Amino acid sequence: MSQNKDKGKKDSSHLKHTRQMTMKEIHKPSSFEGAVWAVVGIKDARIVFHSPPGCYMMQHMNLLCGEQGGDMYCTQISYANVMMGTEDALEKILLKVAAEKPKVLIIVTSPVIEITGDDVEGIANKIGIEQTIIIRPPIGMTLAEGKEKAFLGLLSLMTKGEKRVEKNVNILGPTYETFNWRADVFELKRMLACIGINVNAVLTADSTVEEIMHAPRAALNVCVYPYDCGRETAVEMEKRFNIPFVANHIPIGFRETAAWLDEIAGLLKVDAATYLSEEIKSGLDFASGLLVSNTLFESSAAICTDNCDSYSVGISSFLSREMGMEICMAAVGTEKAAEQVRKVCDAVMVNPVIDEKKEMFLDKAPTIILGNYYDLKLSTDLGFKNFLMADIPHIGYVFSENRPFMGFMGAKNLVESITNEIYMKIFIETKGEMEGAISAGEVDWALDAERALTRIAEMLPHFVRSIAIKKIHQVADDMAIERNSGVTLKILQEVTRKYTPTRFKGKYATLFADMEEISSDAPSPEPFQFIMDWDEDAKDILEMVPEEFQAKAVEGTEVYARQQGQDRVTVELVKAYQKELGF
Amino acid sequence: MTLKCYEHCCSSCIALVNVGKTEGIIPILHGPQACTFGNQIGSMFCRPSRLLTVGTTLHKSEVIFGGEENLRQQIINVYHQYNPKIILVISTCVPQLIGEDVSGVLTELREELPDLKLAYCQTGFNHHFATPRGSDVSWTAVIEVLDPQDKVENSVGLMGRAGQDADSLGVLTSFIREAGITTYAFPAGHLDEMAKIVKAEFLCPIQLVPYQTCKALQNRFDSKIEYIELPVGFQGTSNFLRGVAELTSSQKLKDVVTREETRVLPRFEKIKEEFHKKKTKVLLVTGPSNEISIAKILAEFGAEVLVVPSMRNAFAKQEQALLKARYKDRFRVREDDFDTVLQLVDEFCPDVVFCDFQARVEVTPRLIPVLINENYLNEYGYDYALDFGENFFENLKTPVFNEWQSMMDQYAGGSHVTE
Repeated sequence: MSQNKDKGKKDSSHLKHTRQMTMKEIHKPSSFEGAVWAVVGIKDARIVFHSPPGCYMMQHMNLLCGEQGGDMYCTQISYANVMMGTEDALEKILLKVAAEKPKVLIIVTSPVIEITGDDVEGIANKIGIEQTIIIRPPIGMTLAEGKEKAFLGLLSLMTKGEKRVEKNVNILGPTYETFNWRADVFELKRMLACIGINVNAVLTADSTVEEIMHAPRAALNVCVYPYDCGRETAVEMEKRFNIPFVANHIPIGFRETAAWLDEIAGLLKVDAATYLSEEIKSGLDFASGLLVSNTLFESSAAICTDNCDSYSVGISSFLSREMGMEICMAAVGTEKAAEQVRKVCDAVMVNPVIDEKKEMFLDKAPTIILGNYYDLKLSTDLGFKNFLMADIPHIGYVFSENRPFMGFMGAKNLVESITNEIYMKIFIETKGEMEGAISAGEVDWALDAERALTRIAEMLPHFVRSIAIKKIHQVADDMAIERNSGVTLKILQEVTRKYTPTRFKGKYATLFADMEEISSDAPSPEPFQFIMDWDEDAKDILEMVPEEFQAKAVEGTEVYARQQGQDRVTVELVKAYQKELGF
Repeated sequence: MTLKCYEHCCSSCIALVNVGKTEGIIPILHGPQACTFGNQIGSMFCRPSRLLTVGTTLHKSEVIFGGEENLRQQIINVYHQYNPKIILVISTCVPQLIGEDVSGVLTELREELPDLKLAYCQTGFNHHFATPRGSDVSWTAVIEVLDPQDKVENSVGLMGRAGQDADSLGVLTSFIREAGITTYAFPAGHLDEMAKIVKAEFLCPIQLVPYQTCKALQNRFDSKIEYIELPVGFQGTSNFLRGVAELTSSQKLKDVVTREETRVLPRFEKIKEEFHKKKTKVLLVTGPSNEISIAKILAEFGAEVLVVPSMRNAFAKQEQALLKARYKDRFRVREDDFDTVLQLVDEFCPDVVFCDFQARVEVTPRLIPVLINENYLNEYGYDYALDFGENFFENLKTPVFNEWQSMMDQYAGGSHVTE
């Protein structure tokens, strides 16, 4: 093989056709996860994952770290099975499943089976469970595509000729492991109920076989993740069962939730006006509350929900248009979503790798980051403190019906969570110790440091400006006292690196870069030399003196030292001289 | 008389946070628990450290039989626990009402604790200049117990408003220091630094608030009060600094001002152009005395302003006269009675309102941008005004208000105002 031929060669030209692996592929689920998550949420279906045991264990374990339940069996194929064919292993398992008399058997194949190309269909036919669905997610497809393939597979369960029930809808899209689906579905059902509409079936999270079989009873299919999955299924259901569908609005934020409900109400000839009026008024009362607008109007958000494009599109639009937040960066999974998010954000990345996100966090310095586990880790490492979990993977995260992102309650929850996170963290961060000193003492500030502090103030939102400046001032004083000097520009820079109301790190960096530039453009100050011996810490105090005055300060101090009968300049002497001058 | 008080907080609270931001002074709030709790919570937003309020939490029996012993004990406790240089007793409404002999308690304790300086101020009934007066009365009380120090000839003391000014005076002191003029800033974060104000030959207020404080310094330490004008915006800052240059005969400071003007003028001109294009009416209602400063900045940019002032002392009168002469009809002051801020909104039809929380709830249903005065402190110098002006229209978030208006029009009958 060419691999052997090239063995030992330093030349890497043989790699020219290989693909550089990037971190993005590690933290993004695939079509296999999509298919498994889509079907495992059907409570009374029997799922068989046709895979090696490791593949099964990881799928099931990861699933159960985020979900309340969800069970599946596995064929646990071995290397020998692969060599000899996996049919026997599958057959043995299916025989056991058949004995359970499941309402439906769903077989999801793993990547190994896609490589061996084993005859899964043949074995399934041989066992003959009446309702059997086989889903074979192809290698290289996305999470959303895997879900869609599973949804489409479920169409064979659906009964033709069902009698249409008015004011009944199906919700297409929510699956297990879709972030926060349980709360979102709960809220969507609540709102629909408020205008007299019933949810017939959810495809598929927490659904039953019965519900899926009778899905064609619905008068309307509603795609709630139109940038991810469900749309293709809705088109197919329209063809097969003549059910119209809507996929124009993502019910996130007050505006889009109202539009979503309004559209559904219009199609089903339901009067939603009174309900919408109440919700919008209530939304305005909430959104115009003191703390909400005070905090959000001057905050920025990074939307890193790149495993759920519908969230990215919906949340970015809501926070920007209705809540006045700056969406300073976003990460999405597809160009289609990127196109939408760009309407409110100038820095949209499509499937960024970790390093790209890192650079963008530092450059944009968001007040809060909405994202997944990796974003949380990255932002914590970088010193960003305000974070809201909003996407998978989350490694382990508990959620229930309580805190939706979708719907009117979802809009309020998002705002509550973001505002409280920003406000409380900044509030606490600007406090010293409960019984700590307010000021460490009288400290001299170099002119350029004093001016830099005023420029730092301009970078702080008004709601936190005066208290944050006080904190920076205090920390700089403390550091200077510790070093037995005054506050220099260097110390201030150090303080802003160590202590920062979270988002401002990046902006501070530009400030100090500017100031260094200004200072390098300025004419060189008069050179000076020490005639007498100076203690190092006495020399450090000179840093507080503007450069143009340093020569005079050295000269004056040495004259004073001689007058005092000293032959060495110490810190005490410099301070005594400063006192003499009235500083 | 308005139907409610539109100020930020009780003068007790401001006195508490004011001295609560200075190392070396510990305030004791002398009053009932409701007073202690309310002011403790209200002060939490801006107190940096030492976050618990020492108070006497007077009980009913003490109201009847006197709370002097409780106060005396608290002072002794605080002295032994924290060893402060000054304890300031903030005597709230109830002790005043029952005629407690607070000064008698302090006189006795001065003999018992000779190393401790005991100061005393009365707060609570200061309607309707409560917020700024809380600063002034507490500073005045502190001034009364400072020790004299040698005056430094030709030195300048910058007299700020409240504790938070301690960290924002660099925008002015850095220029004056650059010119080689000895400068003292008041307030400061540490009592040792703040106490040097007694060395200043000239006291130059940078806010309208510290009128009584300046008078106390003049009376006790023979300082000369020179009110120039509020050093905010372009003209205000330049005039103030040139005024200081005149007082101290400093050509160097005048040169610094000229340099700074050259630096900032093009940006100011751009802001004025923007305000010229977008005619703007602003209503400003009783802030912590920054309503006049912000109004001054906005009037300089070209806005039409109506101000309900929080201060009516001699400094305030002087500044108002100056601004009325400078900006004519574009600078109006409303000192007549009114019931609600909404009434003023109906009369003046502003594009934006600066006010405090109590007024905000009236105005926001009209979908008019409302900015909270308390968030617009540290307003001194050129750069604050530049930042304020350059971001002013963006900070109003007009598209967000338009979005909500459009939602209200589409789904909720257009208006959310309760008639």
